Amino acid sequence: MATEIMPGLALQKVDERIMTLNVGPQHPGSGHMRIVVQIDGDYIVACDPDPGYVHRGEEKMAEYRNYITNIPHLERPVIHDSCNVLYPYVLGAEELLGIEVPERAKYVRVIASELNRCIYIMYWLAIYGIFLGHSTMFMWPAGDREFLIDLMEKMSGARVTHAHFVPGGVRNDLPANFEDVCLRHVNYFEKRIKEYAAVFYDNPILISRTQDTGVLSKHDAIRLGTTGSVLRASGVDYDLRIKEPYDVYDELDIHTNVMKEGDAYARSRIPWLDMLESCNIIRQALQKMPKSGSVRTKLKPNPKTKGPATVYKRVESGRGSLGCYIVSDGKTEPYRLKLSVPSFRNLIALPHLLKGEKLGNMPSVYWSLNYWPVEADR
Amino acid sequence: MGTATGIIRALNSGIKHMAIKRFTLRYPEEKLKFVGDGYQFDPSTGVGIAGLKGRHMLFHDHCTGCQLCSIACEGVAEAIAMVKVPEEQKQNKKSIMPQIDYGKCVFCGLCVDACPFYALYMTNDYELSSFSKEGLIYTPAQLAVKPYVAQDSEIQITARGATHG
Ligand code: SF4
Ligand code: SF4
Repeated sequence: MATEIMPGLALQKVDERIMTLNVGPQHPGSGHMRIVVQIDGDYIVACDPDPGYVHRGEEKMAEYRNYITNIPHLERPVIHDSCNVLYPYVLGAEELLGIEVPERAKYVRVIASELNRCIYIMYWLAIYGIFLGHSTMFMWPAGDREFLIDLMEKMSGARVTHAHFVPGGVRNDLPANFEDVCLRHVNYFEKRIKEYAAVFYDNPILISRTQDTGVLSKHDAIRLGTTGSVLRASGVDYDLRIKEPYDVYDELDIHTNVMKEGDAYARSRIPWLDMLESCNIIRQALQKMPKSGSVRTKLKPNPKTKGPATVYKRVESGRGSLGCYIVSDGKTEPYRLKLSVPSFRNLIALPHLLKGEKLGNMPSVYWSLNYWPVEADR
Repeated sequence: MGTATGIIRALNSGIKHMAIKRFTLRYPEEKLKFVGDGYQFDPSTGVGIAGLKGRHMLFHDHCTGCQLCSIACEGVAEAIAMVKVPEEQKQNKKSIMPQIDYGKCVFCGLCVDACPFYALYMTNDYELSSFSKEGLIYTPAQLAVKPYVAQDSEIQITARGATHG
């Protein structure tokens, strides 16, 4: 339809019936991004997500910092999931620097990353609740996150951006008595999130708004390259914690949650089931963790890699598989660092899902993609 | 399950919450209690000691003015500047000590990890707001003061729900 009248300047013919609507970037229902939707009456005929408003140049910044000072800024893309964002970078840096991680540190990392996964999902769920106008579902997760944030604060000393993982282990050992407090909080947290079933997931109003909207078939989910909860909600059993176990995940008994429907309801339910599973993983890890021992391999302040090498590591974050590709030229800084983020991969499915949907269903479909704008922009 | 039963169950679940205890914390009357005295680091083992990453504390008798903390922060936030210490104060060989700008600091604690002389720790003090940007710059003399913290509230889990007691 578009005719180019000058290089870079296109004139688009518009249909009388079609209206273009900008949702965002300041819209509370879009996050830090814009979704350009074309509507015919109440139906969406085309949709063009426009991310990039919160681009921070994390990848470029990483080229000027050494392997230690890269830590605080690399967790910024998703501050609520900061341990999982750092995880692939730390695993990659360990391989490049050639250092071993003590056994206890691996368990501490697993606990931290599972706690962070729950913290992230609770935040995501709170926003999903308020997107659908369910203000109770905003208040409860926002309040119940506190148990886990309190645990992370005891563990790492920071409530949100922990900077806790470091190549070679974790920054500090667990405080005294942490295991008991952790178990108590996690058990209560699990009890609390089970209550969400009656008020939210079994609520007929939520079901009528999300069931059969934005259906992503198994074939399309694979073809579009989605990941994490979106992929599992479409019936593909894929979880990196099982398929490519890192650290001590292979020693733990993990169960993945898969739903076949592929609609917005399944995509909103899978993260909740994941949280229940995370509680199990934390309990197992607490039990199996060596009771004492070192948690960090000593490292020089400005460590150098062994030589030119590349490494790609990925982990299962709260949103899906998160990869980190590091190219090293044997210096103290990475030559190139690339983050492959799940948010961006899930966003690709959005135009596909919204076509033919009612405009009123946009928030429920959009946020069910488990998308985090800042992570997609990096 | 029918629509009506589902809605009644949802309402019922919400109404139950009227009977459970209030979970929110009445800040600033109540303040959260943290583990330990703040994040510390032991250079001999290379492992930190758990604690809140709050405002720093500088021990003037340990600091040698080696600038390692400032170098560590260069790649993070450039919050540390090495400044001359006034004559009347405790001196080190180079007469310089770190001054921290909390308008820039991200409380990562990497400067604490870098200090090899047990001179820089973090404390439980997180209430650093100021009306001016200059008020956020803490000189070595200010950093040497041990903060007064009255924090005693902890999460308590009871049969009637959790509360900050
Ligand atoms: S805590 Fe981090 S940002 Fe703050 S002064 Fe130390 S190194 Fe710099
Ligand atoms: S605080 Fe520590 S690292 Fe910083 S100048 Fe003093 S001795 Fe050196």
